[in-house]
Amino acid sequence: MIGSTTLPPSGTGAVRRFLREYGHEILVALAIFALLVGVGLYNPRFVSARNLTTIFSGNAYIAVAAIGMTMVIVIREIDLSVGALIGVLATISGTLAVSGAPIWVAWTVPIVAGAAINAISGILVAYARIPSIVVTLGMMAILQGGLITATGGTWISNLPPEYLLAKMTVFGLPMPLVWAIVLTILAGLWMRLSPFGRSLYLIGGNAEAARAVGIEVPRRIVAVFMIHGAFAGLATLLFATQLQVIQSTTPPNLELIVITSAVIGGVSILGGTGTVFGSSLAAVLFATIGSALIFVNVSAYWLRAFIGTLILLTVMADMLRRKRTMKGA
Amino acid sequence: MKYLLTVCALALAAPAHAQWTGGDGAPTSPLPCDGSTVTPEAVAYDGGAVANEGSKAGKPLRVVDIPKLIGIGYFDSSARGVAKGAEALGNVTVTTDGPTQANIDDQITLIDNYITSGVDGILFAANDPVAIAPVLRKALAAGINVVGYDSDAEPDARQWFVNPAEFNGVAKSLIDQLAEGIGPDGSFAIVTSTFTTPNQARWISEMEAYQQACYPEMTWLETVEAQEDNILSFNQATTLINKYGEDLNGIVGMTSVATPAAAEAVTQAGLCGETTVIGLATPNAMKPYVASDCVKSAVLWDTGAMGAAAVMALRAAADGTLKPGDTSFDAGDLGTLQIAHGSQILLGAPTVFTSANINDFDF
Repeated sequence: MIGSTTLPPSGTGAVRRFLREYGHEILVALAIFALLVGVGLYNPRFVSARNLTTIFSGNAYIAVAAIGMTMVIVIREIDLSVGALIGVLATISGTLAVSGAPIWVAWTVPIVAGAAINAISGILVAYARIPSIVVTLGMMAILQGGLITATGGTWISNLPPEYLLAKMTVFGLPMPLVWAIVLTILAGLWMRLSPFGRSLYLIGGNAEAARAVGIEVPRRIVAVFMIHGAFAGLATLLFATQLQVIQSTTPPNLELIVITSAVIGGVSILGGTGTVFGSSLAAVLFATIGSALIFVNVSAYWLRAFIGTLILLTVMADMLRRKRTMKGA
Repeated sequence: MKYLLTVCALALAAPAHAQWTGGDGAPTSPLPCDGSTVTPEAVAYDGGAVANEGSKAGKPLRVVDIPKLIGIGYFDSSARGVAKGAEALGNVTVTTDGPTQANIDDQITLIDNYITSGVDGILFAANDPVAIAPVLRKALAAGINVVGYDSDAEPDARQWFVNPAEFNGVAKSLIDQLAEGIGPDGSFAIVTSTFTTPNQARWISEMEAYQQACYPEMTWLETVEAQEDNILSFNQATTLINKYGEDLNGIVGMTSVATPAAAEAVTQAGLCGETTVIGLATPNAMKPYVASDCVKSAVLWDTGAMGAAAVMALRAAADGTLKPGDTSFDAGDLGTLQIAHGSQILLGAPTVFTSANINDFDF
């Protein structure tokens, strides 16, 4: 039980409190459930074990990347370079794997390198005071350009089978799914219970107040960017090991998909609120919508329009909520 | 009320879209089912004219090669062909530069920048035939020789187009290979890049026409798009397998990214030998699946030869040795290539890669 010691004794009060705190996450979960039921009734194969596996594990790497992004957005920053970063880390990891390096090295290096590369962005944001949208836009271009120049567009193939982490299973469950769940829960608990995790909400909600209570805000910003880089590294391991080849370009608009997961998952773009449970659920929601569109024969173009609508609705709801809270206060 | 009716009408019209195959709707010319050849009828030159024609004859040329995107094996190998062709010519220096995504806006900006920086020639593979035309016309007007390959623009926006394989020829090859795998009454689905990419849309239309004429009992289940993205292609192919189960006998990949991803999807679903995968693919990407006997054949042309022919055509156009009205083009090592449809240089029939020959190719 999360924070059971702080719950009031009354049962209904606890439920109400839970609903208020996790209302958005519950809404996203209900949307997934409604889609599964609705499309499942239309075509029962939609909810077959095989398709559920595709839905839940196909987008797991996005959920993992969205964990770090959630932390970044909670402290009221943004990172546009995450898609390019994942592409670069995938190439580094794959190159190590085919060059005969021990597999654990090929798996560890992207996590460390992700943190190291993002430390640069973090330092520029925290100490040089350059807005993160500018820093990470530049970083995105550097990483994308560097990747194409370094690889010359050649794909990495002949990956050793023992490297293909995403194809492995734990107790019969696909590895990507297990990772997404475990990492989401760990990160979620850490953000809620640890002093460091809690301080992120304070920094995003009111940086002045955070400073006043003695939080070293710039140092935390760098730390959050590095943690986010490490999560990008973890996401890379799932992304790069899904197929037998690693493409030398990143999926188009991956950074936007990751940011959108966080936003639709209820992470306020204005900082200070939101959880990784929401962002992970939103990543699952995208996969569910994408699959559902094929099952009901709708062009994938609608996915973009659909997600665009969801973004606007979520942000509008967030604004309304803020307005109401301000009036109440 | 009127609004409600419109909504209802739209809702009813939606299933009609389900029959949409992803073709471009333009007229088709399917080849005969028995494989007999047809001679294309002669069409007058319909390409564009370059300003200051002939002023660059014999002079060294600085050429930029702008494929649809860089970073994929397909255009990687065509770029190597361009470089090789330029080296053989000796008096052409070429750089390959392109958008990192198959994005027409990025491509137009890039071409515009190269016009400003002052190159002598532009090679392109268009992301959109209509949208790219104005900037190419601007290049022609600035005295820059323009030759397309792989994906054409409007004819008058470039001088020549190297057509790697005629659409109806590719369509016949793909559907014949498919029929061999799924039988003349099997059902299949298509994974394409996007519904607006000109080549894919054209092939699909020709495939539809050829299939209806030669294998009328086949069932075309649906077409899904997956951009040129590995993971998305894999997920889309897997979802098709999940959706149709045993009713899906074959998957056709329309891009060099989609075909290996579809093969991977079939492999991971444990359906090798049951679900046929064929499609356009570079041989290197298909080698593992051909080796595991999960895929019998893949179809493509020699992308290196396509790139080399394009740069040679550009040189010849600048020198004036390739001119409107010609019916053939002497492409050095590549032999004499036929010119048809006004201003298209034909590379010949596509290559079918099977376990017998796939290891002879490396791109």
